[in-house]
Amino acid sequence: MAEKPRLKLPTEAKKGEVIEIKTLLPHIMESGQRKDKDGKPVPRKIINKFICEFNGKPVFTANLEPAIAANPYMQFHAKVEESGTFKFSWTDDDGTVTTAEEKITVT
Amino acid sequence: MRRGTIPAGAAAAALIGTAVIFLAAGPGANAQSTKREPPLEIKGDASERPWKRFAGWPARDESKYNTLGNLASPPAPKQPRKITKPITGDAQKGAELVADRNRGGSCLACHVMGPAGGANLPGNVAPDLSEIGNAGREDEWLFNYIYDARVYNPETVMPPWGSHELFNDQEINDMVAFLKTLKSKAVFKTELDNPEKRPPPVEKRENLDPIENPGMWAVDKAQELWRQKTSSGFSCNTCHSDPKASFKAWAASMPKWEPRLNKVLGVEEFVTRHAKATTGADWLMETDENRAMSVYLHFLANDMPIHVDATSPEAKAAIERGKVLSQRKVGQLNMACTDCHGKSANHWIRGQWLGEPKGQYDHFPTWRTSLLAIWDIRQRFQWCQVNIRADELPPDAKEYGDLELYLASLNEGQKLSVPGIRH
Amino acid sequence: MRLLSRRTALALGASSAAFTFIGLSEDASAAAKEAADMMAKFTGGKTVQQGKVSIELPEIAENGNTVPLSISVDAPMTADNYVSDILVVADGNPNPGVATFQFSPLSGKAEASTRIRLAATQNIIAVAKTSKGEFFTSQKLVKVTIGGCGG
Repeated sequence: MAEKPRLKLPTEAKKGEVIEIKTLLPHIMESGQRKDKDGKPVPRKIINKFICEFNGKPVFTANLEPAIAANPYMQFHAKVEESGTFKFSWTDDDGTVTTAEEKITVT
Repeated sequence: MRRGTIPAGAAAAALIGTAVIFLAAGPGANAQSTKREPPLEIKGDASERPWKRFAGWPARDESKYNTLGNLASPPAPKQPRKITKPITGDAQKGAELVADRNRGGSCLACHVMGPAGGANLPGNVAPDLSEIGNAGREDEWLFNYIYDARVYNPETVMPPWGSHELFNDQEINDMVAFLKTLKSKAVFKTELDNPEKRPPPVEKRENLDPIENPGMWAVDKAQELWRQKTSSGFSCNTCHSDPKASFKAWAASMPKWEPRLNKVLGVEEFVTRHAKATTGADWLMETDENRAMSVYLHFLANDMPIHVDATSPEAKAAIERGKVLSQRKVGQLNMACTDCHGKSANHWIRGQWLGEPKGQYDHFPTWRTSLLAIWDIRQRFQWCQVNIRADELPPDAKEYGDLELYLASLNEGQKLSVPGIRH
Repeated sequence: MRLLSRRTALALGASSAAFTFIGLSEDASAAAKEAADMMAKFTGGKTVQQGKVSIELPEIAENGNTVPLSISVDAPMTADNYVSDILVVADGNPNPGVATFQFSPLSGKAEASTRIRLAATQNIIAVAKTSKGEFFTSQKLVKVTIGGCGG
C-alpha cells in the first residue's frame, strides 16, 4: 500500500486573499550519509524539487537537499485572484514525479 | 442470511440474524464463543521465537544481570572496599571517562561536573559535583561511591560502576582524580545547558493532524488492512463493519486479564491472537500490520478516559505484580522503572526530560521522529531495558502484561490521544 | 564531538556584513567554509545586509532527525518589490545545503516552513534575494539535544 500525499488548503477563498498551504509527502529522503549493516553507504535518494503551481503559474518552488527530513513537509502561502486548480509536484532523484491537485473556488 | 464457506484449517463464520457465532475448525484454532467472547488463538506465542533483538539496537548479552523475567545479578557488596593509600589517577583521562556516553550513559547524564564534556547539556538527576573537590570527601568514599554506592545508600539510583564491571579500578581511580580537581561552579555556554535553568519541554504538536504526524498514515493503512480478505475469505470487516461505533471505547479498557491465557493481554497481543483465530491473518506483534492495527484501535477510542479493570482478583494481583516489577533493579546499570520515572521524575537525564508514569501511556502507540517509526508500549519497555543494559523480554512476555496493566492503572482518567508524536 | 570555540569570519563583497561562524569541530569548520561558498555563489559577491529575515527554530531540537524550521522575510510581495529566492544552509552538516525557496508575487508571503536534519548543534543561515537585487541575511543557533541513555 502506498501512503498518499497529504494536502491542507481551503476549498474556498476571497479574491486577493493569501491562503496557507501545507503538504506532506511520504518519502524516506535517503541522505546518502547512512551506512548499511555491512558498512557500505546507502545511496542517496531524495525528493530534490517541489513545485506548487496555480492555473499553470508557479506559486512556490523548493529545491531540496538531503538535509530535508524524511516525509518532506512544506508549508507556504499563495495569493488567489481567481478560481482554479493547485498542482503539486515532487520530483525524485530517479526522475519520477509524484503529483496531486486541489481545486479552489475564489469569489 | 449469509453463509460463509468453511476453508480448511481456518475458522468458519455463520451469520445468523444479528448474532455472530464462530465455530472453530482445524488445528490450533480455539474459537468457542459463548457470551460473545472474542475468539483468540490460545496456542503458541504472539511474537517471534526465539525473540531477536531489533536491528540497530546494541547487541550486548546481559544475561549476568537481572531482567524483568529473571533474577541473576550478583548481590550488593556488604562493605566498602578498603582504600589504604591515597588514590593516584590520571585526572585528564578521568575527565574523558565521565563524559563518555559509550560507557553506560556517562556521569553527565545525571551530574553537572564542572567543565566535563564541555558542560554541554548535563543532567540533574543527582547532585551537582562541580565543587566536590572542596567537599572534604576521603578518597575511599569517592572510590566506593563510584564502585558501588549501595554500601553507603542501599536505595541509591547510582549504577554500581565497579561491581557490575562497567569500569575497572584504574578507570575509577582516574575519575576520582578528576573529581578531586572540581572546585568551582560549572560555567555554561548558554543558559539552556544549565539543567536548573533549562525549561522543561512542552509537547504542543497536533498529533492527530495527518500533516503534522506521519504516524497518522498508520490509520490509513489499518483501514485498508481492515478490509483485506485473507485466504479464508474473511476480513475484519466481515464481522466488524462499523469499527467507529464498535470500538469507541474498547482500547481505553485495555490491557485486560485474559483467563484463557492466564496473563494480561494488551491490544497488540489481542490483535495477533484474535486475527489468527478469525480471519487467519498472521499479524505477529512488532510487525507493521500489528502496529497499524494497534494505532487504529486506540485511535478509534481517542478522547475516552483510560479505565482498566483494577478490581477483579486477577487484575488486582497483576497490578501488584506490575508494581513490584516496576521497582526491580535490572541490568548492568542496575536500575528500576521507578528510579527514572519515580525518584528522578521531573529532572533532566542529559538533554532529555524524565516524566512521571501518569501521562506516559495515553499516547501509545506513538510516532517517533528520531526513528521514523511507530512504537507500541511493549517496544518502549524493551528499549528502556536495553538502554540500561538489561536483556529485554519478548514483547508478549507476561511480565510486560503485568507492568502495562500497572502503568494503565496509574493513567486512570487520562484521555487517549493516539497516534502520539514524540522524539 | 567536542565543541571548540573558534570563530571563522568571512567577508562578502566590498562593504558587506561579515558572516561569523562559531566554529564547531574540525569537520564542522569545513562545513562552515562550504556553507560560506554556497552563500557567496548565491549572492554573486554582492552586499548582504543583516536583518529582515526571521528564522524560527526550537532552541533545543529533540533530535537531529526532524527539526521544524520556518523562514520568513518582511516584504510587500508586490510586482515591483518581492522576495524572489531564499537560500538556507546549515553550517555544521556534512552537506551544508538545506534548500532554496523561490517565490513570486503569487506567493502572497515570503515564508516557508519545513523540517530539516541536523548532524549536531550548529547555525542555520538564511539569505534572501529580492526582485530589486538586494540581499538580506540572518542566522540562528540550534542545539541538538543529547540523549540521556548511552550507547
